[in-house]
Amino acid sequence: MHGAPVLEMRDISRRFGNTQALDGVSLRLYPGEIHALLGENGAGKSTLIKIMTGVHQPDSGQILLDGRPVHIGSTLEAQRLGIAAIYQEPLMYPDLNVAENIFIAHANRGPWVDWRRMYRDAENILSQLDVRLDVRQPARGLSVAAQQTVEIARALSLQVRVLIMDEPTAALSAHEVDQLFAIVQRLRDQGVAILFISHRLEEVFRIADRITILRDGQLISSAPRADVTPERAIRDMAGRAIELLFPRRDTVRDRVLVQVRDLGRTGVFSGISFDVREGEVLGFAGLVGARRTDVGLALFGIAPADSGTIVIDGHAVRITKPAQAMRYGIAYASEDRRGLGLSLPMSIAANITLPMLRRYLTPMGLLRRNAEASTAEEYRRRLSIRTPSVEVEVSRLSGGNQQKVMLSKWLNTKPRLLILDEPTRGIDVGAKAEVHQMIDDLAAEGVAIILISSDLPEVLAMSDRVLVMREGRQMGIFNRREATQERILAAAMGQSETLTS
Amino acid sequence: MSNRTVRIKVKTMTAWRQRIRPEQLRELSLVVLIAAALLIFGWQIENFLSARTFNRIATSVAIVGMVAIGQTLVVLTRNIDLSVGSIVGFTAYFVGSQLAANNAMGAPVAVALAVAVGGLMGLINGLIVAYGRVPAIITTLGTLAIYRMLLINYANARTVTVDSLPSWVVDFSRQTLLSIGDFAVRPLMVVTLATVVVFQFVLGYTVFGRRLYAIGSNPEAARFAGLPAQRLVLIAFTLCGMLAGLAGFLFLARFGTITAVAGQGIELESVAAVVVGGVNTFGGSGTALGALLGAFLIDLLGQGLLRWLGISEFWRDALLGLLILLAVASDAVILGWLRQLWQRGAEVNHGR
Repeated sequence: MHGAPVLEMRDISRRFGNTQALDGVSLRLYPGEIHALLGENGAGKSTLIKIMTGVHQPDSGQILLDGRPVHIGSTLEAQRLGIAAIYQEPLMYPDLNVAENIFIAHANRGPWVDWRRMYRDAENILSQLDVRLDVRQPARGLSVAAQQTVEIARALSLQVRVLIMDEPTAALSAHEVDQLFAIVQRLRDQGVAILFISHRLEEVFRIADRITILRDGQLISSAPRADVTPERAIRDMAGRAIELLFPRRDTVRDRVLVQVRDLGRTGVFSGISFDVREGEVLGFAGLVGARRTDVGLALFGIAPADSGTIVIDGHAVRITKPAQAMRYGIAYASEDRRGLGLSLPMSIAANITLPMLRRYLTPMGLLRRNAEASTAEEYRRRLSIRTPSVEVEVSRLSGGNQQKVMLSKWLNTKPRLLILDEPTRGIDVGAKAEVHQMIDDLAAEGVAIILISSDLPEVLAMSDRVLVMREGRQMGIFNRREATQERILAAAMGQSETLTS
Repeated sequence: MSNRTVRIKVKTMTAWRQRIRPEQLRELSLVVLIAAALLIFGWQIENFLSARTFNRIATSVAIVGMVAIGQTLVVLTRNIDLSVGSIVGFTAYFVGSQLAANNAMGAPVAVALAVAVGGLMGLINGLIVAYGRVPAIITTLGTLAIYRMLLINYANARTVTVDSLPSWVVDFSRQTLLSIGDFAVRPLMVVTLATVVVFQFVLGYTVFGRRLYAIGSNPEAARFAGLPAQRLVLIAFTLCGMLAGLAGFLFLARFGTITAVAGQGIELESVAAVVVGGVNTFGGSGTALGALLGAFLIDLLGQGLLRWLGISEFWRDALLGLLILLAVASDAVILGWLRQLWQRGAEVNHGR
C-alpha cells in the first residue's frame, strides 16, 4: 500500500546480562504510516527504540534503510540517516531561544551564525507544522507541548524520515494532545514514518495505522488497526508466563494498621484511598508514570501529601518528614538504591545502622561498633548477603547484595508498614526469590507491606490485594481472586472493566 | 609450600584485611611518604634531621593542623570553608588587642573569646550555606573577603605587638613541656594533637561523626534515613569556625605581632592539608588524623625543598597547588589500585 519500507528491523536480538531484552524482533516502518508500538513495562520497547537511534547496538539482526543494510553507531549517525526520537520529557536548552533550539544539532555550518537565515528557516518549519510560536522567545517557560513542537521542528530541520515518539502525550492535556495529533497527522501526510509509543490505548486506537505488540522481548502481533480490538491488544500484552510463582501464605490479620483516604499532592496524584492490614501485602500496579512512587514518598514524608488523611492505629497523623514517618513505624526502601538508598563509600554495617544510630550508644553516648557489626551479621545471615565481611564498603557489592543491604537497613528500623519500591528491579533470579521469601516472612510476622512493582507477575504473585494507578489516579483495588493480568493492565491503561470482561 | 602454610597465610591475610581498609591504608601511606621525605632530606641536607627543624615544623603545623581539623568536618559534608584564613586572622587580632587593652585577662577567658568569635563567624557561614542554600564555595569566598575587611577596619592600620601582650601569651608558645634531648614538646603542638585525638574519636565513635560521613557520601540517602542534614552542615561550619578561632589564638601566641594580614593563605593550606590527608572532596571519607598528617607532609616538603633546592617562599604556594592536584589525582588512582589488590585478595579467600 505504501510501497517499500523506509526502515526495516530484521530479526533483532539484544541481551543485557541475564535479561534477553529483545529476541528476534522484526518491524517495518513505511513512509506515511503511523505505527504504534505497545507493550508492558520491560517488554523491550525502549531497547528497540534505542537500537533504532544508535544508543545500543543489536547483538544480532539487521537494520535496513531503504532496503540497504546500515550500521547505526550513535544518535548522531541516526540523525544523519534521518532517524530522530522525541521523548516524554523534551530535551531543551532553556536559555537558548526557539530558533536556536531547533537548529542546535546543525554543526558544520562554519563558525558564524547567520541569525537572519536561522530565524527565517525556523519560522518556515513551524509554519509547515501550522504552529505559531515566537522563534526569538527563550525555551524556558514554554509549555511541555510547545517544547515538543520545538523538538519535532528540530527533527524536521534534519530532514527526518523516521520519527520515533516515546510517550509524547504523557504530560499533555487533552487539548494539547489534539494539537499534537494534528501535527503528527500532517507529518504522516508529508510521508514521514512515525513510530508511536503510548500507554493510552484510546490514543493508539485513534491515531495508529498499524499496531505492533511486544512482550518479553518478543514480537507477539503486528496488524492493521482495523484488525485489532482493545481486548485483543491487552491480551497480547499480558499473557505473560508467570515464572517463579511464589506460594504466599495467608498472613493477613484483622487489625487495620493504616487507613488512607483521598490522599493527594497537587499536580502529582489525587484521590488515593486504601486500607492496609497487619500481615497484608498491598501491591501497587501501574505503568511507568502512574505516580505510584509518589504515593510511597508521600507516606514516608519526603514529598508530603497536601490533601486527604492518613490514619495509623486509629489516630489521624500528618507526615511531613522521614523522621516522623519512621516514628510511626513506616519505612520506605527506594527503587533507586544507588541514588537514594545507600551510602556507597560506607560499610555495610554503617549503612544498616544509619537510620537507627541512637540504638547503638553506650551510656556515655559513644557508638558501640561491635553491636553495629553484630546487627549487620544478623542481617547478613538472614538475607544471605554475600560478602567477606560486614565492614566492606557497599560500593563493592553486586546489585543484588546491595539491594539486600538496603532492605536490611529498613528492616532494622523494625517497621510496621514497609513500603518496598521495585525491590527486585535489576537483581538476578536467585536474589529475587530470596527477596520474595523475605516479604512472605515479614508478612507472617505481622508487618504490613506496600509493594510497588512494575513486574506484573510479581505483584500478582506476592500481593493479597492490588491497587492499580494510572496517571496519578486510583483505578481500582482488586483482591487476589479478581486480580488477573488482563484486568490490571486494562485498568492501568485506562480501559473500563466492561471492555475486558 | 605445603597446604598448611598456605592456609595459615590466607587466614592471617583475612584477619589483616578485615582490620585495615583501603582508606586506612591511605593514612599509612602518608606516614610512609613522610618517612621517605625525612630520609631523603636527612641524607641530602646537612643538619636537616635536627631538633630545630622538628620544632619549627611542629609549631607551624600546630596552627594549620588545627584549622585543617575543622576543614575536615566541613569537607566531609561535601562543602568547603574558604573563610578560615580570615577567621584565624580576625580572632588573632581581636583577642590580641583585647589582651593588650586588658592585661589582667586570664588565659581561659582569652581562649573562650577566640573560640566564641570564630564560632560566630562559622555559624554565619553555616546559616548561609545550610539554610540559605548558597553553595559553600561562593558563601565562604564572600565571607573570606568580608571577615578580612572587618579586620582591616577594626585594626585601622594598627598592629598588636608582643610588648603589649601579657607575658603568659608569648610564654605559652615558647614553653617546653617535656624535652627529649633537644626535641621540645611545645604546648601549641599538644593542644593540636589533643584536638586531633578528640575529633578522630568524634568522627569514629559518635552519632554526629557518623552522620557527617553519611550526608557527605550520599545526601539523598541521608535524607531518606531521616537525618537533619541542614542542622548537621550548620554544626560542621560552626565547629570549623570555632577551631579556626582556637587556631587564631595559637597564631597570636606563636607570633605575638599581629597585623591586618594575619592568617592570609591559611585557607589554601588547610584545604591542601585536608586533600593531601585523604579527605575526599566529594565528601564521605577522611579523618582528622589524615588531615594532620597531610599538614605535616606539606610543611615538611616545603621546609625541605626550601633548604634543599633553595626555592623561594613564593614557590611554596605553587608547591601547595601542585600537591593538591597530585593528591586528588592520586586519590583516585592509588585508592582504585589498592582496592583492586584488596578485592583480588578477597576473591581468593572467597573462592576457598
